[in-house]
Amino acid sequence: MRTEEAIERISQLLGSDMTETANTSMRIPAALRDAAALAAQELGVASSATALTTMALRSALEAVLMQATLDDHYARHPGTRPDLADLAVAAAELDGHPLAAEPERIRQAAGELAARHPSPEPEDVLLWAEARAFPSL
Amino acid sequence: MSRLVILDNEAVQALRTPTHPKHNQVLSHVQVVVSRKKRAIPVSLAVPTAVRAEAGWDRTSAAWAFPNHLRIADIPLDAVHANTAAVIRNDTGVSIADAHIGAAVEGSPNIDITVITSDPYGIRKVAGDCTITVVTI
Repeated sequence: MRTEEAIERISQLLGSDMTETANTSMRIPAALRDAAALAAQELGVASSATALTTMALRSALEAVLMQATLDDHYARHPGTRPDLADLAVAAAELDGHPLAAEPERIRQAAGELAARHPSPEPEDVLLWAEARAFPSL
Repeated sequence: MSRLVILDNEAVQALRTPTHPKHNQVLSHVQVVVSRKKRAIPVSLAVPTAVRAEAGWDRTSAAWAFPNHLRIADIPLDAVHANTAAVIRNDTGVSIADAHIGAAVEGSPNIDITVITSDPYGIRKVAGDCTITVVTI
């Protein structure tokens, strides 16, 4: 199965009727099962360990599908892949971060951080840009 | 704390079309959302159905496969949203799609809401007293 076919099929499955259930022989670590049961019973994070497991699995699969879709798009349209500075600006904008009004400062910070760290996250760039604003002690 | 990111008509158009001048900008926002979902940070993308209709986004059409696979949820124009949108439209004279964005903001259980739009003034108007983050594209 090609990647695009897998993306299409996973998308269909995630969008389909979730009321139909099936027993599964999937084996999970006993400690994880017990922790999930406790989280459901004592912390009220879900109605049951099964519901918690399903919710977590769905969320993980959605993220996997979305990233696979983006990766496929980047492969088809190489010029569209955002760089670290683009992502840091976008992160600031989405959060309403004060630095969103200063994209050039973010871009400079992204360049500096990329030279120092192998794989920084956009949020690291914002932190770096904020820290750079403080005078040296 | 969960963040909801709502797309307006132009954000949808920009996301769908690789040659759109704002494509990379909207794609950066989507990539940040996906990266956060991969880290189990609660964040989601959504489009009010009136916006989807205005944008011509048919989920059954292969032409819309890319945004379809990005798990952008519909916010339906149900009876409650329709009533709220009607009030917003009567008060402000905005389009039905923008009124639906306002209704979606007002009716959302999410604490943090970001709207990606080409009309920040209009979105501020339909959001009324609700605190939102507006990203201008």
